[in-house]
Amino acid sequence: MTARKRITGILAVGVTAVLLLSGCSGNGPESADQASSSSAATPKKGGTVYMLQNADFSYLDPARGWDGGVNAFYRLLYRGLTMQNAGDAKDPNAIVPDLAESLGTPSDDGLTWTYKLKDDLKFDDGTPITSAEVKFGISRAWDPQIGIGSPYLKAVIDAPGDYQGPYVSGDIPTIETPDAKTIVFHLKQPFPEFDNVLAQPNAVPFPKGSGGGDSFIKDVIASGPYTLASYTPGSVIKLERNKYWDSKTDDVRKAYPDAWQVNLGIDPATIDERMISGQGDDADAIAGKISAATLPRLQTPQLKARVISAPAFCTTYLGMNTTKPPFDKVETRQAVNWALDRSAVQNASGGTQLADVATTIIPPAVSGHADFDLWKSKDGKGDPEKAKELLAKAGLPDGFTFTMDIRSQPAMQAQAEAVQESLKRAGITVKLNVIDTSVYYETIGTPAQQHDAAITGWCPDWASSASTFIPPLFDGRKVTEKGNNNLSQLNDPAVNARIDEIMTMTDTDAAKKAWGDLDKQILELSPIAPLVWEKGLFLPGTNIAGYHPSTNMTDLTIVGLKDPSKG
Amino acid sequence: MIRYITGRVLGMVVVLFLVTLFTYAIFFLLSPDPAAQICGKNCTPELIDQIRTNLGLDQPFWTQFFTYVGGLFTGRTFMVAGAPVDCAAPCLGYSFQTSQLVGDMIVQRLPISVTIALGAAVLWVLAGLVTGVLSAAKEGAFVDRFFAGLTLTAMSIPNYVLALVLQFVLVVALGWLPFPQAVSFTDDPGRWFLNFLMPWVVLAAGYAATYTRLTRANVIETLQENFVRTARAKGLAPALVWRRHALRPALTPIVTIFGLDLAGLLGGALITEKVFGLNGVGKLTADSIAANDQPVIMAVTLLSAVFVIVGILVVDLLYSVIDPRVRTGGAQ
Amino acid sequence: MTLTSSSLEIEAAPGADSESLSESAPTSGRRLVHAFVKDWAAVLSSAYIVLIILMALAAPLLARITGWGPYEFDQGAIDPNMGAIPIGPAGGISAEHWFGVEPGSGRDIFVRIAYGAQVSMAVALSATVITTVIGTVLGMLAGYFGGIIDTIISRVMEFMMAFPALIFMIAILSALPSDNRIVLLVVVISLFGWPYLARIVRGQTLSIKEREFVEAAKASGAGSARIIFREILPNITSTILVMAALAVPGYVGTEAGLSFLGVGVVPPTPSWGQMIASAAPWYAVDPMYFVFPGAFLFLLVLSFVTLGDRVRAILVSGETRA
Repeated sequence: MTARKRITGILAVGVTAVLLLSGCSGNGPESADQASSSSAATPKKGGTVYMLQNADFSYLDPARGWDGGVNAFYRLLYRGLTMQNAGDAKDPNAIVPDLAESLGTPSDDGLTWTYKLKDDLKFDDGTPITSAEVKFGISRAWDPQIGIGSPYLKAVIDAPGDYQGPYVSGDIPTIETPDAKTIVFHLKQPFPEFDNVLAQPNAVPFPKGSGGGDSFIKDVIASGPYTLASYTPGSVIKLERNKYWDSKTDDVRKAYPDAWQVNLGIDPATIDERMISGQGDDADAIAGKISAATLPRLQTPQLKARVISAPAFCTTYLGMNTTKPPFDKVETRQAVNWALDRSAVQNASGGTQLADVATTIIPPAVSGHADFDLWKSKDGKGDPEKAKELLAKAGLPDGFTFTMDIRSQPAMQAQAEAVQESLKRAGITVKLNVIDTSVYYETIGTPAQQHDAAITGWCPDWASSASTFIPPLFDGRKVTEKGNNNLSQLNDPAVNARIDEIMTMTDTDAAKKAWGDLDKQILELSPIAPLVWEKGLFLPGTNIAGYHPSTNMTDLTIVGLKDPSKG
Repeated sequence: MIRYITGRVLGMVVVLFLVTLFTYAIFFLLSPDPAAQICGKNCTPELIDQIRTNLGLDQPFWTQFFTYVGGLFTGRTFMVAGAPVDCAAPCLGYSFQTSQLVGDMIVQRLPISVTIALGAAVLWVLAGLVTGVLSAAKEGAFVDRFFAGLTLTAMSIPNYVLALVLQFVLVVALGWLPFPQAVSFTDDPGRWFLNFLMPWVVLAAGYAATYTRLTRANVIETLQENFVRTARAKGLAPALVWRRHALRPALTPIVTIFGLDLAGLLGGALITEKVFGLNGVGKLTADSIAANDQPVIMAVTLLSAVFVIVGILVVDLLYSVIDPRVRTGGAQ
Repeated sequence: MTLTSSSLEIEAAPGADSESLSESAPTSGRRLVHAFVKDWAAVLSSAYIVLIILMALAAPLLARITGWGPYEFDQGAIDPNMGAIPIGPAGGISAEHWFGVEPGSGRDIFVRIAYGAQVSMAVALSATVITTVIGTVLGMLAGYFGGIIDTIISRVMEFMMAFPALIFMIAILSALPSDNRIVLLVVVISLFGWPYLARIVRGQTLSIKEREFVEAAKASGAGSARIIFREILPNITSTILVMAALAVPGYVGTEAGLSFLGVGVVPPTPSWGQMIASAAPWYAVDPMYFVFPGAFLFLLVLSFVTLGDRVRAILVSGETRA
């Protein structure tokens, strides 16, 4: 049985690989995980699943937290009107209804969206979830101190200019609740992907009046299949079943285990060791990506069978500040793209199993990816000669020097060094400015503090389209004084206009193709140099089933144990 | 005597105040804007200003400083997301990054650091004394030379190297010890002991070596003293000679140094905790520095300084009890 | 840090040794040198130290000989399909790469160790010189003059020692920009290091100033400066020497520790501590990456400690023989 599944799995991998290589930018990304027994088997109900991780979750409050890890965690505790599809579905990036009966109904002018709630929805204390609670929960996003998570609700839904959330300004008038099962949203502008906005982690219901101050720092009011049993910050989080969650109202979440335990503050190398050893409870555990140093240890047949590979959703790139010479000349930027030895950066990122060379903005796993390479070179090692030609055209025949901001984290430093070394061959000298991780994003996001270039990454806020990939990075009108994401400060009118056009397209397939084309159009201006797409290898415990890890957000709601009695 | 103690205590208070002031000033000057960090990725200038006001960062330096010091004595109230959070005295601040009272964070982790410090202390004192006395008793013999070599080695290995080597050999390669995990003593004493064994050994190694050498040198010196020779000549049994006359004066200086070492450790063994992933005060410090969580860094620094200064005071007071010359201000 | 603060006190001034060191006039230099040469431990440790210094000085030459710079990548020496691990046994040791290569980049470890020696020795020796000078001067002033000068200096020393040095060093170093890192490291380490030496010198000065020859010099009308530098200083030279020899390994360890924690020199500049930190996750599959910098560091510290030990033993036995 296992052998047959494994062969099927291998075939699946082979087919997927062929599809990816042939540059298929089809309807949705293929879930390219090798079928290991951990994903193929069906979990059984019961037992406790453990998670080992290094960092604490940023916040228990979904209005405050916003990153891949904590978003995965929120899925266990909270529900929204819509949600991202199951991790083992054919199109895991798609948005499907959750508390709502179906996806939203927009008005003809696209400014109003209406949803109807299902019946028998309850919080973890038995109180019912109605449209009023959904409205209240969503309105928390406007509170300046609480709503620091996902920005989409505030950006897309209309609200009075001085509205500061329910605790300060009371009721939000632009969200209507004509009856207990209906909720209506008024938007600032038409936004065809509004279902995605409501799938964001902060669009969850809460009882009216709850959650002020720091009440959701240490405790939760859950709407999902689990609720908080105990929480010791920096140490352990325990979840238990929410007995008021009715699986009949939930098409996506399976909630197999009776409990979850997240062990925090463990050293990353130790996590890898424990997952390899799988002693005791570690056989019932899952963890994050394994590091490059652990790769050579995974060569035994037993370990190889357990390893699952997940594609990259994020692009690591070198952003060049077009306001600082000589990066204001397009030839200089193109020269950098030609001179780079991307295979060296790939090696610095852990080699071929952990990273793919990136030649486009949109990574393959995100819908809308188009495959092209404007800077083809032998073995992907770059073409210093071509670079020197371009530099001569830019009036810099002897090369030049620039300062690159990098994070003080070892992996990123290694990538920076690879960039440094490869650009040397074209006469370009790179000075590294190492910035502490805690202030890195703040620094590079402040145009007044930025240097000439920086290495950073970008992940989509949802993967069903590239609308959260290209605009934040390349829309020249979105350059802000602080928290700027358009590091290259590119402001090309043609690009800006095209972005506006694609954002209003209601035909999603046409939109995907259009994003792919825009990707190429932008890279011809070379505002950034894509470096690598960092994949992930995961090693679940031997007793884990239903595990489909993602480098963006793993779906924990379908994970369980093969044999709960052993747990 | 009273005057001496009062003088010293006053001096201690002054030093403590200065330490607080300097620490606060340095972090105030050097650290980047905490408001921007809390604000997160989607910041707007208005949001930052609001957070700065809430944190009281728009106040002048001295106001902020004395608010902090005042909080240490009387407690404070913080406004978190529009609701007040009470911080009882001594209020060590509120970490907006982790949304916890700093005092709570430290108290939670103190048991682990104290366990590590005390366990290692017991280990290094025992090891140091025993090997030191043995080496002194058999001065020049093989035993002595063997321990000499061992202590030199122990003193020369950086503790993080030792930690990594031990972990690889004992846990991964041989599998004799389990991975260090947080297990409380009441749940599983055996496992608890095994968990802490490696950190204890790593931390104790360097100190033990030093104590061995000190003990050895002191005992050898004492054994040559006249009063010991006299006791021996009088025909006193060797064991009694040892206990009553040789060991006591030899050990006195060790006690005083031990006080200082232990005090220093209570602030958290930063590197050891970090390498073994133990959730103590030291690891909290390392993590907070990496995350630039100012209130926590301030609090831990202050706590550490308090331990050391109190330690110095206690040691000096003990010394003055033992050596009357000190009280009167003679040579120390 | 490898050596604790109190251990430095213990080592440099345990009761018997320091008194005998300062009691009589210094013995003949030639006799000491003779005793030194006959002591194999002292010779071996000095030899290793000299070797490391030579290695540090000749690093560029070594790079030229092996054909690899310290920052040069060698993609051919690592396996891209296996997490970029070095190809070949023992971390890729070969005729081309005598100590193997680093995973992820293929940089030559031998050359990086040579350049890392530069950092270790430069920082440690500079910090030792600075702390010894400051510590000696301030310690002598405090011990000799007593009174208000002593109070001020002693309180400053206590103040510096009360600071949790490691925390501060990390915080300061991580907050400052990364230019001139080596200078910064020396400054920060020296800032927190001088009080320990000053305390010892102060103690020594206090006991010496009561001796007859100092009384005699005072009676003959010598000025304070003369007394301090002509009478007291020569008598504590041996203590200072031992102190300095023992301080160096401490600073080597401190720099390595700070680099291990990531606040030392900026990459791609190599440093032994930072190499150990990078090597830590690889110790299971490429232990040589860890062994080389670890062993070099350990042996350097061991050599300095042994040297300090032997020098003190020779000085003491030199005294008693004389």
